[in-house]
Amino acid sequence: MPPAQRLSDDQIARRVARELSPGQVVALGFGLPGLVPGVLPERTGVFCLSESGALGYVNAGQTVKLRPGGTPLGLAEAVAMLRGGRVDCAVVQPAQVNAAGDFSHWTTAATTGVFAPGAGLDLAAGPKRVIAMLRHTAEDGSPNIVPELTFPVDGINALHLIITDIAVLSVIPRGLELMEVAPGWRADDVSALTGVPLRRNPDMGEMTFDMEPSRFPSKVFSEARDALHDLSDGATVMIDGFAGPGGMPHCLLVALRDHGARDLTMISNTAGIARITNFGTPPGKLAIDHSILIDSKQIKKAIASYPVSPSASRPSAFELAYRRGEVELELVPQGTLAERLRAGGAGVAAFYTPTGAGTLIAQGKETRVFNGKEYVLEKGLRADFCLIRGHKADTMGNVIYKGTSRNFNSVMAPAARVTVVEVDEVVEPGMLDSEQIVTPGVYISRIVVRPPGFSPYE
Amino acid sequence: MAKGKVYPSAEQALADIFDGAVVLVGGFAGQGVPEALLEALSRQAVKDLTCICSPAMPRGRQSSGFDVARLVASGRVSKVITPLLEYPGANSVLEQQRRAGQLTVEVVPQGVLAERLRAGGAGLGGVFLPNGAGTRFEEGKETREFDGQRAVLELPIRADFALVRAQTADLFGNLIYQGDARNWGPVMAMAAAITIAQVDRVVEPGGLDPERVITPGIFVHRIIAAGGATGGR
Repeated sequence: MPPAQRLSDDQIARRVARELSPGQVVALGFGLPGLVPGVLPERTGVFCLSESGALGYVNAGQTVKLRPGGTPLGLAEAVAMLRGGRVDCAVVQPAQVNAAGDFSHWTTAATTGVFAPGAGLDLAAGPKRVIAMLRHTAEDGSPNIVPELTFPVDGINALHLIITDIAVLSVIPRGLELMEVAPGWRADDVSALTGVPLRRNPDMGEMTFDMEPSRFPSKVFSEARDALHDLSDGATVMIDGFAGPGGMPHCLLVALRDHGARDLTMISNTAGIARITNFGTPPGKLAIDHSILIDSKQIKKAIASYPVSPSASRPSAFELAYRRGEVELELVPQGTLAERLRAGGAGVAAFYTPTGAGTLIAQGKETRVFNGKEYVLEKGLRADFCLIRGHKADTMGNVIYKGTSRNFNSVMAPAARVTVVEVDEVVEPGMLDSEQIVTPGVYISRIVVRPPGFSPYE
Repeated sequence: MAKGKVYPSAEQALADIFDGAVVLVGGFAGQGVPEALLEALSRQAVKDLTCICSPAMPRGRQSSGFDVARLVASGRVSKVITPLLEYPGANSVLEQQRRAGQLTVEVVPQGVLAERLRAGGAGLGGVFLPNGAGTRFEEGKETREFDGQRAVLELPIRADFALVRAQTADLFGNLIYQGDARNWGPVMAMAAAITIAQVDRVVEPGGLDPERVITPGIFVHRIIAAGGATGGR
């Protein structure tokens, strides 16, 4: 006779949910993890990512339903989110786990066929924390926690926590530690059903199933300067913009100038165009763009594709500073810049691109021929901060853009540790058309509302 | 015949498919499956197709519509490239044909497959990915460390045809999707010589909100309008 009732699947899901906190992104594998979104309270602020790419979902029978603030993603975007380090936690249902935290994902004793991981590798490798959610024993009563995996491994040293229908185990350097037991169970009962020795945590307790009440932390900052308070000297900062005032975070640019951080590396398409009067600007006014940071001598280096003025007789501030030897420049073709940003955000270490092969751009870089065509090896770009311009955001940070002002905004947003968006308006989750959301809130740390009537000229 | 990119039937849109063609098939867990195209393909006089697709559904969750499993059952397919052949316990025709030696299966982890398709669509020569580093999936491949992290060189995938499912197209082939029916559609649409979209309806250019267009029409060569259960809700 078993010592006590095993937990229901719903109870296991509720115990898993206790590991999540507002603002976190949790990726869920097929099987038992699919129950987790359904036990999270409404407006909990946890983003659930499905294997099929739905972000902010809850299962509704055979299909998934988006919660307010959720957005559908394509598979390429979903795996980029996983690999790019944006997922705080993954929950998987492995067939087998061992004491080192290795696991085998989809293969079961019943499947004698191909050993295939599905999304198991992505769930194992990208997220900061991986939780195994499984039944403690197989249908024949044998342990699912085993000394050695008999199926091929999909995650190596990947697991942090194992939550089963009788216990919670922590993966520690020396093996597995018993943290909690299900109500009515004793440590010895759990050990008897486990294929590896368990250390018993001195504070071992009983599993509980209610989520702590918590609130989603607001991302909205009332002052632009507050959103940049922790930007330090020497930081790398991405700043959006293409050419001209469209799609540029003017308020944030001014705030960065006021902030005064120095020795910055700036990643942008232009490095500011000519800041002169009567150059498409209102009479007597100068455009606010990247040039203001050159004028204030805050930039040490620019990584840009178009660091010069379109008019040779009217050079940009950056050109002049470069000729005086005051700034460094890394020149990147526009398409390569976009791709390096995308790689940085998507966790792609490096890629071979045909752009620039055989030109000055390829000098000093590895080149390689695939199928008779020459390619240049380029690496992903990441930054400490990213300043972008959106049209509207919801309070969870989901952003929609307007027309061509999208330009570099959407590809930069995922590539920085802290991304700050300047928008015209902030709305409640669910108020944006989910099909129109381009940048999921996962990538946005801070939101600043551009004051009504703010002029991009000064 | 076709009016611009719009074809009167799935059969006509697939008329030039050939023996041995590599075909990307959209859809995930029953959502966004190009059912009418798959059904028409099963009646086409072709063999030895390679299909790149998501797994077969478990028992009890099979779609009532026409899916990859039914295409495989029609005998047109000799190879499947997939992250997972079937969900455990499905005992699908894919697994039965594999055991019988009629179907070759190549396993590519989901994140690697998505990125290889994206690389194919974006014209890259190869990508270094952390996915699969240290596992059986790096065997036989070049690996390298970048900033202390091991990465595996993965090569792009391009196909002869992509069959995708979207909600609405305009006459230029711009596509909007609905909900989780989006899944493989956008990345597969980029990665084929001929992309055929099955949509619920076709509108005039300008009839779609441009901010909602996910797949630009330049990636879509043929469109058929056919309703069904899984184009989106």
